[in-house]
Amino acid sequence: MPVLRFSNLHIIQFRNYQDQQFNFDKRIIGICGPNGTGKTNLLDALYYLCFTKSYFSRPDGLSMKEPAGGFRISGEAIAGEKKGELTCIVRENGRKEFSENNEPYKKFSAHIGKYPCVMIAPDDVQLITGGSEERRNFIDTIISQVNKDYLQDLIDYNKVLLQRNSFLKSASENQHFDEALLSTFDKQLAEKGQYIFSARVKFLDEYIPVVKEQYQLIAGKEEAIALKYDSQLLNAPFTELLIQNRSRDLYLQRTGAGIHKDDAEILLDQQPFKSVASQGQRKTLLFALKLAEYFFIKSHKGFSPLLLLDDVFEKLDAERMENLLTQVCVKEDGQVFITDTHQQRLALQLSNINADYQLITL
Amino acid sequence: MQLPSVLLENAVNEFAKLPGIGKKTALRLVLHLLKQDTGNVQLFSETIAKMRQEIKFCQRCCNISDGDICAICANSFRHQKTICVVENIRDVIAIESTQQFNGTYHVLGGLISPLDGIGPDQLNIESLVNRIQKEETEEIIFALNPNIQGDTTIYYIQKKLQPLNCTATTIARGISFGGELEYADEMTLARSLANRLPVQQYVKG
Ligand SMILES: Nc1ncnc2c1ncn2[C@@H]1O[C@H](COP(=O)(O)OP(=O)(O)OP(=O)(O)O)[C@@H](O)[C@H]1O
Ligand SMILES: [Mg+2]
Ligand SMILES: [Zn+2]
Repeated sequence: MPVLRFSNLHIIQFRNYQDQQFNFDKRIIGICGPNGTGKTNLLDALYYLCFTKSYFSRPDGLSMKEPAGGFRISGEAIAGEKKGELTCIVRENGRKEFSENNEPYKKFSAHIGKYPCVMIAPDDVQLITGGSEERRNFIDTIISQVNKDYLQDLIDYNKVLLQRNSFLKSASENQHFDEALLSTFDKQLAEKGQYIFSARVKFLDEYIPVVKEQYQLIAGKEEAIALKYDSQLLNAPFTELLIQNRSRDLYLQRTGAGIHKDDAEILLDQQPFKSVASQGQRKTLLFALKLAEYFFIKSHKGFSPLLLLDDVFEKLDAERMENLLTQVCVKEDGQVFITDTHQQRLALQLSNINADYQLITL
Repeated sequence: MQLPSVLLENAVNEFAKLPGIGKKTALRLVLHLLKQDTGNVQLFSETIAKMRQEIKFCQRCCNISDGDICAICANSFRHQKTICVVENIRDVIAIESTQQFNGTYHVLGGLISPLDGIGPDQLNIESLVNRIQKEETEEIIFALNPNIQGDTTIYYIQKKLQPLNCTATTIARGISFGGELEYADEMTLARSLANRLPVQQYVKG
């Protein structure tokens, strides 16, 4: 089966890197080095080439080695059958340019999904313990990679939402509002929102069973875990919700109903997962969520996404770790990057599962 | 920038206020004018002042005009019952240069965007609705940029036109998504004018 595979990477003035080239000639790439040597930054550079931005929702400017110095990341990849030479340049003034095979993108969103990639990083437990926005972002990132219209609809939805909120604000300042204009915004919002809602329903129907399956696989036993989509739109069509909420919206000067309030509810033994689950169970769920993402993208794209595993060894015991590595490095055929502070531990783990790997020491 | 004359400095500052002109370019332009005859420069500044003072906006379509009614509106060979709704005067110029449109225009002066402090009252929307009613317009063609604000503006006007018997169409989304009308090449613009869609259909697409 075809995969997404990077053969090299060249980073200039990005975070702690001045000018460095890497060649990747194996499918499994271990990256080791002490704290602060740039392991996470290397993975994030690859992520940049897949998503045109940092995994850590950091502004581009903060990734310049010297303030206002600009940076450049480039690399060659094969996505399925297609070869791509990807270049991301952030200029001194903060302007970003992104090109594929020397063809600059007019809209960066057109790049998303062509080089699908799944990252697992230490701070990701936020996905389970944090607010609903974390889970919406997570879901949106996955759907956007397999559904082009979704991302555009989401961008449009957010633009209309900003306009509508700004309208509500000025309506309350002027003690008067233009009914026709509010209905216009409602119509635009409902149109985009309803579409996003059905895409999320469809996605979660397919995704949730895979999460459960992966969870049991890593845990090695049955645990009563449940995931549920939570949206106001499950109760009533969006247009109705907007009408019901109208006077409240005008009073609060913001839009109270919509898919921007959606969440995914996670339960363990019918209790909220984040309040009852142990540390280990949280980690297990996190991996299950990410692996399910991996499989979802793979089945929709027809090729394996890139897998970036940052500091995963800190997260699971040896046996679970080996299960996970076997799962992604042996049973799957995609390219995997794994970081660790201990070279010997990493080499041992990869040898244990008989992986054909390459080690990069920073 | 240290300049040897206050007069020079004032002139440079005025040029630098123009869009796309920085201090260095401004200085180059001013030094160029300094090399010209006094008469020529006099003519240059008078032409500009006269343009600003005497130019009018067409009372019918809000296009720029030398008289109360612009040359396009006054041309009786053009189809008076078709109105092409555009955001600004640059769009009129872009569409005119395709030579594919034989109706009249209505210049809105912007798009609805509460975020930028622009509501329907800041735009020439009421005059458009009144005009369509009075002139019994048969078709209006929206040639607005295909972005969210463009959509909002189309829906809003469409809503105001509901009681009237006027067909509304929009230019096809052939021009690059989110791209600006004035940058579209003439061929593409002409094609999208020819392949216009009813507004309802455009809304779903
Ligand atoms: N904009 C920047 N300019 C220069 N250096 C930076 C910039 N941003 C981050 N760094 C540096 O990059 C270094 C490496 O960061 P990174 O997170 O990649 O390390 P790591 O190898 O993953 O470490 P750990 O093992 O602790 O996770 C840090 O020391 C940090 O100071
Ligand atoms: Mg790190
Ligand atoms: Zn006119």
